[in-house]
Amino acid sequence: MKESKSIKTFISVALIVLIWGIVAEMGVVSSYILPSPNKVIESFVKMVKSGEIFEDIYISYIRVLKGFLISTLAAFALAMMRVVFCKASGYYEGIVQFLKNVPPLSLISLLILWFGIGETTKIGIIVLTAFFPIYLNTVKGFTSCDKKLLEVGEIYGYSKVGSFFKIRLPYAMSDILVGMRIGLGYSWRAIISAEMIAASAGLGHMILFAQQMSRTDKVIVGILVIGVVGYITDRLFALVIDKTLKGSEKNGWD
Amino acid sequence: MDGIKLVNVGKYYTVKREQVKVLEDINLDLPANKITVILGRSGCGKTTLLRLVAGLETFEQGEIQATHVKRKAYVFQEDRLMPWLTVRKNITFGLKDKEIDHEKISGIIQMVGLEQFEAAYPVQLSGGMKQRASIARAFAYNPDFIMMDEPFSALDYFTREQMQKELLKIHHKTKCSILFVTHSIDEALILGDKIVILEKGIIKSEYEIEKDHERDLLSDKFVALKKQIMDDLKVV
Repeated sequence: MKESKSIKTFISVALIVLIWGIVAEMGVVSSYILPSPNKVIESFVKMVKSGEIFEDIYISYIRVLKGFLISTLAAFALAMMRVVFCKASGYYEGIVQFLKNVPPLSLISLLILWFGIGETTKIGIIVLTAFFPIYLNTVKGFTSCDKKLLEVGEIYGYSKVGSFFKIRLPYAMSDILVGMRIGLGYSWRAIISAEMIAASAGLGHMILFAQQMSRTDKVIVGILVIGVVGYITDRLFALVIDKTLKGSEKNGWD
Repeated sequence: MDGIKLVNVGKYYTVKREQVKVLEDINLDLPANKITVILGRSGCGKTTLLRLVAGLETFEQGEIQATHVKRKAYVFQEDRLMPWLTVRKNITFGLKDKEIDHEKISGIIQMVGLEQFEAAYPVQLSGGMKQRASIARAFAYNPDFIMMDEPFSALDYFTREQMQKELLKIHHKTKCSILFVTHSIDEALILGDKIVILEKGIIKSEYEIEKDHERDLLSDKFVALKKQIMDDLKVV
């Protein structure tokens, strides 16, 4: 099953590369607009040898992890507050819903004005992007907890705290992890846009710089690297989810 | 130990601004160390009565005296197992880590016939197996009072019979009080020391049965009793 899936993936990828190669070879479009696969591979190898690509990946990745960590903690804290102090949520729920509808990129000019073009701005963009899926899914996980299971805890003498850790939290775990997975994907998208606007290093900056230097081959290398790194991160996270959520139904993500 | 006493208990729901009475003027003694069976048709208020005794629901009128009951267990109509825990962990769910007697738990798992599935998750079990695990969870808790809400209705005839025997065995051994809800007259006759007939939220009649070693439901005494109960329930 798994083997046939990877064979199918390989076939479709090979087909796309083949068509790309033929089109580039035919010279229908100029090599500036569509460089040949060979050229792209060549510049990829060059960038690997010089190590510059790893530096960019590393810089972008650290930013994503920082932003993702902050948004996870903030989302979890606010979601828990909503569960524990139901009435407190009225104070911030409206603001959260408002910010949810504001695209983080529209805030970038303000962020640059306030924090400069340093790390804070980029991480801020990631937090603003990743926070909402994590927060909303965590809240959903906590509030949709099966009342029937909570009653079991009540019968067996669990305190409110005990029932939170033994029933509510494990019950919400699948929603929390799905939210985190979406949040991680969003962070990865957001960092590239943020780096294209205000950065001197990282994958987004690398792509923009290559475009300004008319190096379309490097642009394509950048896009492919972003896709592959994002894909690997997502798979790793899916693996963690799979190991954590024993006994629950498959959620159809794989 | 004293039993549990329900004095004048009444419970109402409000549906579309109209008060619907579920239970009315319930005066009931649940004797200690005995099995009390509540018998009635669907919707007569059996489960509500059980939930009131368990403290899962509030009531508008009357009083329930059960202060001395320290450890109560409840077997719900559905299995209500934690999907993220293995069968064994589900069975010890009510116990603190220090309280777990592994040998005893293994014995209970064997009794409900789940020894090959103790490391399985609920999603891997059949409906009947899940229900057996949930019964085991109640027994593992060392309760002095067990409430059971039609616990055997998901089981097949043979398993049901076996579980009834095991329940009686455990009852003899631990002398815990049991409040058992069922709609099966035969089950009530097999298990009950006291049978309470509930009809439309009111106690219609009560019967006490002496302790026998083996109950033969085909004996004249039980056939007559069954007839009387059927009359009470107006089963044609």
